[in-house]
Amino acid sequence: MNERQARGAGLLARAALGLYPPTWRARYGDEVRALLDDSGAGARAAASLAWHAVPAWICPSPHLHDRPARMRASLGAVLAAWAVLAGLAAVFAQLAQAQGSAQSLTLASHPVIQWSYWVFDGAIVVSVLAVATGGLPLWLRMFGDARGARRRRDMACLLAPAVVPAAYLAVSALIAGLAHQAGARVVPSQARPVVDLANGNLGPWWFLALVLLGFAAALISAAGPGLALPRLRPDGPAVTRATRAAGLAVAAMLLAGAASIVATVGLYLWAPAYAGYHESWQLASYIPVVLLAAAIAVVSAARGIRAVRSPAA
Amino acid sequence: MRDRLDRWADPPLLVLASLAEEPKHGYAITQDIADTMGVRLSAGTLYAVISRLESRGLIEALESEDRRRPYRLTAAGAAELAEQSERMHQVSSVAQRRLRANYGWAGA
Repeated sequence: MNERQARGAGLLARAALGLYPPTWRARYGDEVRALLDDSGAGARAAASLAWHAVPAWICPSPHLHDRPARMRASLGAVLAAWAVLAGLAAVFAQLAQAQGSAQSLTLASHPVIQWSYWVFDGAIVVSVLAVATGGLPLWLRMFGDARGARRRRDMACLLAPAVVPAAYLAVSALIAGLAHQAGARVVPSQARPVVDLANGNLGPWWFLALVLLGFAAALISAAGPGLALPRLRPDGPAVTRATRAAGLAVAAMLLAGAASIVATVGLYLWAPAYAGYHESWQLASYIPVVLLAAAIAVVSAARGIRAVRSPAA
Repeated sequence: MRDRLDRWADPPLLVLASLAEEPKHGYAITQDIADTMGVRLSAGTLYAVISRLESRGLIEALESEDRRRPYRLTAAGAAELAEQSERMHQVSSVAQRRLRANYGWAGA
């Protein structure tokens, strides 16, 4: 290995350290850098560091952080990933199940698709119930703490999951209403409407704008409590229950995601003329986004559950 | 995939055995293991092991003024190492006795 390659491998090994959780880096980062300085960092060291970063995320060492902090961090990340998955589920429901014309129902009546729809519906109900039953007591406690301490910024953050989706739904209803009123003036420019939103025949660009706005709303809604959690630092049974509920919510959402992927592939294979699934790029973009959000949700939920199970410090 | 027959060389045991001599920092541990046991641990493996052993209370970090923080074996770590060594010794004794009896092995 020449000097240039060695320098490149050294940079790569130090960059691989960036893949580790912040608490791990804070504890061992300097030592690892010293080891790399002493032993000469090569491609093997870079690959080894990158490989071991995965278990450092999934199975964090319990001595590196206190349990409540681990659970709070996990809850924030799970909430964000769950919000994205919920947004994807809403897009799927709108593009598949809500397309209720007689022709569509005939096209999408394959048993695999029907079963996928039912599993999807059931899993979504379980997931939403888990979030509500696990998250509401913690939310109430945090809101009470923030109000008692007159922390208006935290109160605003905590109200985000109620206010932002309501505002989004109001804007969506307004746009759908306008599209419905405009009717023939909007639709003829499109060869085929992407989605039949309340029979408004919303065009593809309006639909895309609403979807992007929906994801932004979902992330802002999740970011509110996510920011308030480390500031208010709640602990005790409410956090433990919320972390367990987050694990259940993620598991149910994964089932819904899997069912939606099966249904999506089924619609692509057996109902090619079905609204919303006649373009393969939609399939190719939907599935990776589901998988990425699911991976983040699973890793975060697993870290939280491990913190619940680990012995108290 | 080849079957692994070198489980005795589990990195946690190698690190415990290395620290049984005296407290050492990361680089000294890898050098000692390479020199005395013929196994070269990479940086990622070594610190994954150190983190696990530290969280289980088998080793502990000592104060250090520079970045090279030394680790030493705790009493629990010494007990764990003794238990594992005893098991390995039993396997080794049986294997050597049978090799001598049935395969004419002269021994190392």
